[in-house]
Amino acid sequence: MQIAAKRNAFAKTKPLPILSRQILLMMKCTAILLLAACLSASAGTSAQTVSLSEKRISLEKALLAIKKQSGYNLFYKVEMLQAYGKPVDVNIKNVSVPEALQEVFRNQTLTYEVAGTTIIVKEKSEKKLDLLTEGLNPRLDISPPPPPNPDVTITVLNTDNQPLEGASIIIKGQNKGIATDINGRATLRGVDPNATVIISFTGYVNQEYKLSSNPGLKSGVTNLTALIRLAASTNELDQVQIIAYGSTSKRLQTGNVTTVKGEDIEKQPVNNPLLALEGRVPGLFITQVNGIPGGGISIQIQGQNSIGSGNDPLYVIDGVPYPSQNQATVFGGASGTPGILGKSSAGSQFSGNPLSYINASDIESISVLKDADATAIYGSRAANGAILITTKKGKAGPTKLDITLQQGWGKVGHFLDLMNSQQYLQMRKEGKRNDNTAVSSSDYDLNGLWDSTRYTDWQKVMIGGTAGYSNYGVTISGGTTNIQYLVGGTYHRETTVFPGNFANQDVSVHFNISSTSANQKFHFQFSGSYLSDHNSLPGIDLTQYVFLAPVAPALYNPDGTLNWAPNPNASGNSSWVNPLAQQYNLYDNTTSSLVSNATLSYRILPGLELKSNFGFTSLTANEFAGVLINSIAPESRPAYTRTSQFSFNTLKSWIIEPQLNYNRNIWNGKIDVLVGASVQQQGNDGKQITASGFANDQLMKDLKSATSWFSGVADISDYKYNGGFGRINYNWQDKYMINLTARRDGSSRFGDYNRFHNFASAGLGWIFSQEVFAKKYIPFLSFGKLKGSYGTTGNDQIGNYSYLNLYNSQAFGNPYQGVTSQAPGGLSNPYLQWEETRKLALGIDLGFWKDRVLISAMYNRNRSSNEVINYTLSTVTGFTSIKENFPALVQNTSWEFLLNTRNISTNQFSWSSSFNLTIPQNKLISFPGLAQSSFSGKLYIGQPLTILNNYSFYGVDPATGTYLVRNVNGTPTSSPNFTTDLTVFYTTLPKFYGGFQNSFNYKGFQLDFLLQFVSQVNNNFYGNPAAIPGSFGAGKGNQTVSELARWQKPGDISFFARFSSNFQGTSGDRVVEDLSYARLKNLSFSYQFGGKFIKKAHLQNLGLFLNAQNVFTLTPYKGFDPENLNTTTLPPLRVVTLGIKVGI
Amino acid sequence: MLSIFKNKISVFVLLLAFGSAGCKKLVEVDPPVTSTTGASIYTDDVTATTVLTRLYASLSGTAYNSTSGLSTPFSKKAGLSADELSLWSGAGTSDIAYYTNTLAAPAIGSGGITAGNETWTTCFGFIYTCNAAIEGLNAATTLTPSVKQQLLGEAKFMRAFYYFYLVNLYGDIPLALSSDYRINNSLLRSPKAQVYLQMIADLKDAQTSLSSTYLNGQLKSYTSPVIPERVRPTSWAATALLARVYLYTGDWAGAEMQASTVINNTTLFSLSTLSNTFLKTSSGNNEAILQLQPVNTSGTSFFNSEDARLFVLSAAPAGVNSTHIVYLSPQLLSAFETGDARKTNWVTSYTDGTGTYSFPNKYKLALAGASVNEYQTVLRLGEQYLIRAEARAQQNNTSGAQGDLNMIRARAGLGVTSANTQAGLLTAISHERQVELFCEWGHRWLDLKRTGNVDAVMNAVTPLKGNTNGWKSYQQLYPLPIGDVQANPNLVQNSGY
Repeated sequence: MQIAAKRNAFAKTKPLPILSRQILLMMKCTAILLLAACLSASAGTSAQTVSLSEKRISLEKALLAIKKQSGYNLFYKVEMLQAYGKPVDVNIKNVSVPEALQEVFRNQTLTYEVAGTTIIVKEKSEKKLDLLTEGLNPRLDISPPPPPNPDVTITVLNTDNQPLEGASIIIKGQNKGIATDINGRATLRGVDPNATVIISFTGYVNQEYKLSSNPGLKSGVTNLTALIRLAASTNELDQVQIIAYGSTSKRLQTGNVTTVKGEDIEKQPVNNPLLALEGRVPGLFITQVNGIPGGGISIQIQGQNSIGSGNDPLYVIDGVPYPSQNQATVFGGASGTPGILGKSSAGSQFSGNPLSYINASDIESISVLKDADATAIYGSRAANGAILITTKKGKAGPTKLDITLQQGWGKVGHFLDLMNSQQYLQMRKEGKRNDNTAVSSSDYDLNGLWDSTRYTDWQKVMIGGTAGYSNYGVTISGGTTNIQYLVGGTYHRETTVFPGNFANQDVSVHFNISSTSANQKFHFQFSGSYLSDHNSLPGIDLTQYVFLAPVAPALYNPDGTLNWAPNPNASGNSSWVNPLAQQYNLYDNTTSSLVSNATLSYRILPGLELKSNFGFTSLTANEFAGVLINSIAPESRPAYTRTSQFSFNTLKSWIIEPQLNYNRNIWNGKIDVLVGASVQQQGNDGKQITASGFANDQLMKDLKSATSWFSGVADISDYKYNGGFGRINYNWQDKYMINLTARRDGSSRFGDYNRFHNFASAGLGWIFSQEVFAKKYIPFLSFGKLKGSYGTTGNDQIGNYSYLNLYNSQAFGNPYQGVTSQAPGGLSNPYLQWEETRKLALGIDLGFWKDRVLISAMYNRNRSSNEVINYTLSTVTGFTSIKENFPALVQNTSWEFLLNTRNISTNQFSWSSSFNLTIPQNKLISFPGLAQSSFSGKLYIGQPLTILNNYSFYGVDPATGTYLVRNVNGTPTSSPNFTTDLTVFYTTLPKFYGGFQNSFNYKGFQLDFLLQFVSQVNNNFYGNPAAIPGSFGAGKGNQTVSELARWQKPGDISFFARFSSNFQGTSGDRVVEDLSYARLKNLSFSYQFGGKFIKKAHLQNLGLFLNAQNVFTLTPYKGFDPENLNTTTLPPLRVVTLGIKVGI
Repeated sequence: MLSIFKNKISVFVLLLAFGSAGCKKLVEVDPPVTSTTGASIYTDDVTATTVLTRLYASLSGTAYNSTSGLSTPFSKKAGLSADELSLWSGAGTSDIAYYTNTLAAPAIGSGGITAGNETWTTCFGFIYTCNAAIEGLNAATTLTPSVKQQLLGEAKFMRAFYYFYLVNLYGDIPLALSSDYRINNSLLRSPKAQVYLQMIADLKDAQTSLSSTYLNGQLKSYTSPVIPERVRPTSWAATALLARVYLYTGDWAGAEMQASTVINNTTLFSLSTLSNTFLKTSSGNNEAILQLQPVNTSGTSFFNSEDARLFVLSAAPAGVNSTHIVYLSPQLLSAFETGDARKTNWVTSYTDGTGTYSFPNKYKLALAGASVNEYQTVLRLGEQYLIRAEARAQQNNTSGAQGDLNMIRARAGLGVTSANTQAGLLTAISHERQVELFCEWGHRWLDLKRTGNVDAVMNAVTPLKGNTNGWKSYQQLYPLPIGDVQANPNLVQNSGY
């Protein structure tokens, strides 16, 4: 009877022709989509807030006014309203629709229901409504004897008035609860009128609702209604954590996931969003390879798992996988040189990092997934962890225009203490004396060709410039409850510290539309990010020129032309390569990146959702490298043929991921089941062309102006990937959680025999602070959770086609007999298998004093086996190796600690801190056949993969001034035996690393800073490792002043050998030192203008800010920067920016 | 209720569809378009030919300053090891090791200098291709029979060619006759004699399989009036190499017979003038039996032979990247008889303040130009006369030997030989080989070892090259790559290393 009556009522009030439920699902979806679009369009034209000020107005008129202002649909029976509607006094201004309705219906005997943007007026008791519709039309008895236990229907909305589905409603003191439906509603039957109801939802602050506060209760209504609006939680534990195929909160997660919010990323003036993660995520170690915009970034999550294959994490942007490496380029891949951009990881062939083609200001959050529980659902690609990037979405509300303008300056943070001209010449002369050799015709610095009275600070000239940093962004967003949109555009430009006109600039657009049907069943989301980048750089990193002799010639001739310092004694040939000539050695990279995805979801039944994600990614990179004739010494120009290199790369990838999600309450807990499939295909099309014979420099970017062309390596490949996955998550009363995932994956990178593999994981969580004993005995403990997970993940980063026996074309300039030739590409192994990583994670999360102090500690143990490694063969086989799976076992263990505190929290002032620390360890546990692998002599059982060995430094021989090292017996020697005497082992693996972030708020002021620290051992920098102190190699012989403490005469005890043009013996581990560092990674200071001023200016908000990156560094390292530890590449820059943010 | 049921069905169907479509088909990719698979390359005449063509192109295209490779890099190394070449004092350690006869196998487990094993690695790399080709061609069913036969012959000829150099440089050799790495990675070293037997078998097969006319890149005969270039192996090349193999194994009668077969084919082969000996056939050189077409270019310009690029000096020897670092040794220069036209035609010198440097000038075109005129010569008729002379002398056919020897001497503008005893003739032939075949494919180094003169000659020469420790007999064999000895415990390093 009850059901029938309800349907009856629904049918009568249904506004649209009822679509037959028998028609096909797809048609229904389409119709609903169209309907949603229509409704939204009309709704979108009206304001979402309602203002009404009337006395004694009829209920009908009041409702019509709300309908008019809000654009909501209104349905009611005229007779009913006239019979039962009471006149209302109303005085509301700019309130939401539900609030207005609540006000209007305050003293009514009628009630209402909001479904999407439809208001339905109905009787409070449906039974009575039935009577009404049956024409009995009785007078309503307003004071029946109150039934002992009324029913209560609670509607849960968020502050944007969107219904929250799945919110849990529990009667306090009882272990009984229900979850809200798609309209955010749930009805509790027969509730004690004195009961208190607790409403909770992930990411929102819990609310208690006392039934006695319901006005209807007094009037004896048996069917109470209540509208509860939950505010988003500011508690760290309740922040939404994006995970694979879904989201959770820190409170409930069983996995090891760290999320960095967009606002923290925005504060950092970086050219690659990954750099904003440095020091913020435990278990994530990032190294910026150089300070070149668009340069390489090395990234590892919980250490190095794979010995011989890729160690990149899986990147997923809005559900769409994104490449972790750039494609083969002019300066990568075939030619083998990483070029100016630098390699992203030691093993990779390619330069730069593709994430630099993602606009950091479009990012809402970045989640770093580490353990098996979080990653196993990505199966074969998540052995090295996963990084999920979520872009910004529009929010319901009035249209908002945000403008951010940022302008900044970048400089090299630390310079070397290099010798001046006197010191340099003294060194050179002393070297000549020590060598007992005369000044030769090629010693230009000593023989008078170069003016020895000159002094140039080459650091200042080559890398002393100021790089510009500009970032201008506009975002328009807004929407209604049913449709939200966001469109943004950003212009970003960075120049370099090098002399010359070089810049990296990009323009990007980002958009997102999401729409929900009126009945909340159908959801559609479409988003895309497009970025077009143009990076023009010198062909080589000019940092290497800082070691030019300080007496090197002037850069320009008096007539303004480049000075090549001709040597009259050598037919006028140049005596140096003028470093400014490198501005005519060009590198140009034009890349555009598109990441787009559409998500369609349909709620078939309450709790059952069918969803599909469609993604398309493309990355197109065109590169040009040209050596213009002006960069060639004048005497070599006649023989020089102008040569340009081009590479054209396109990577296109699409993915379809249908999913079925089911959640319901079962056995007093919540179960969430996900089943899905993933189909992905990726096509790579890369070509390289070398063209030469251009008539002049201007034509060198035009292929058809060349006289000859030569094709380099072409990389045209396909990668297909297919998987099925499932996840079951059960949460019993927010106390016990279990999360099971499984995935079966197939990858085209493996041969027929081993194309598929299964992966699975289990995660458990126990919030023991919910237990009675905890509440009783540890009252200051507000949150306590133990969690653990174990599972398997895989790695297929072994390159395409490696199982196939292939013959590759060999190109010759003058083909043999005019025909092509093909050569075997190598030995193939059709039995190749997946690398597998078994991950174990155990952790504890604690919250004290109402979660003001949150501590989390994790222990992780990842064991990787079945490593794909080149098995060394005798060359009698024709090749040096074959790829095989080795049963080697690599173990990465780490301790991760995270401490979040809200130190001070008042209305005026707040101070919060976050501290994280990671202690990693890496060990090769076993490696049967190590001797037969290509890693023989490079790896050792029981030692980290990053193990290095060296001789033990003894000292400088006091008699001769040359270096001595200890042999295996400890005896000093100048000629050690490298088979026996490499006795010192050390690892470059950091001992620990982490960050310490602080955030202060005072009125409109906010100050944030991040301290990053790394403890590591590596080669310190003394002198100029590229040149022997005292030598004049290619004019780049300058040294740091530390070398002045050299050995000078017999009997001297010194750390530095004598000056000489010749090698002074190996010095072993002389320079291996503790090169730990701590740096103020980021400093951000901002001011938000107060309410009055904003109102006057008709703005939504106005803020000024100052952001600074790499502010200062404390380190014993003597080179440029302890992060990239390199003396010939540009260090990461110190960047300071000023900006303004306006919201209209 | 019905509608709910239907929805469930539709979901079920959807999942079923994904479930069944998932798996195999979705992860199958076509082979890359940039390559040909081993399974398909021998199914088509054109692609099958590309595999063998590549062997010649690689042999020809190995840059003169490369460290590995047969052809020019090997001529340099063998020339340095023997008494043909002098080395610039600033050369790299690898060249110095060859020059001073101080090649050393680095200790197991260390990196170290690997000089000495480059030819080993190069040859086995190519032998893999030959083995894979022989297997693929034998299994092929869709090739034109004549193409299949010719390619099989080429593969066997080339396999014998590579083994010839391996056995002469390293002694006993693991005899890899298949492409299976599991077999090849555990081979023992086969005695030299067994390797020679395999070469003879391969060359005999090649003689019957290979075309007797020179073929173009499509394995078709050149159409008249185009003069065929002699850049693919023919039955004549197989015969010429077989003659050499017989000579090296002491089968004098066999050597004489095979050499005679080539020499008697006067329609194809005749001795050229000295200045024409290394030209391509179409430029007027009928002496060549097998040549290599140069394949390297500089921009739009073509290089001629890599030998010219290595040897021809336009400045005093110098260059840190192994460029222009060798010139003729005093021993070789003094070996020329007075009036030997080869010393003026095939040798030139460059003089500056630092000294006079004589260099081989058999190939003269060192710079890139618009056209190619000189082809690197692998086998030529001149050697066949010397082979037959030696074979005849060994068989006490004095007049026959004298006749052949005098053919070569006459072309060099020299009078008839005065040698008239077997011993005298063998010495004379040995000397003639030194001045005729100098700086070609390591002939001198191989001859010294073959004739047993190596210790006598090198004892005198090695100290002159800057090795104060003097010559040690084991140094006539180069060391095996240390990595191979490690990877295959069945491989034993040459004694002394």
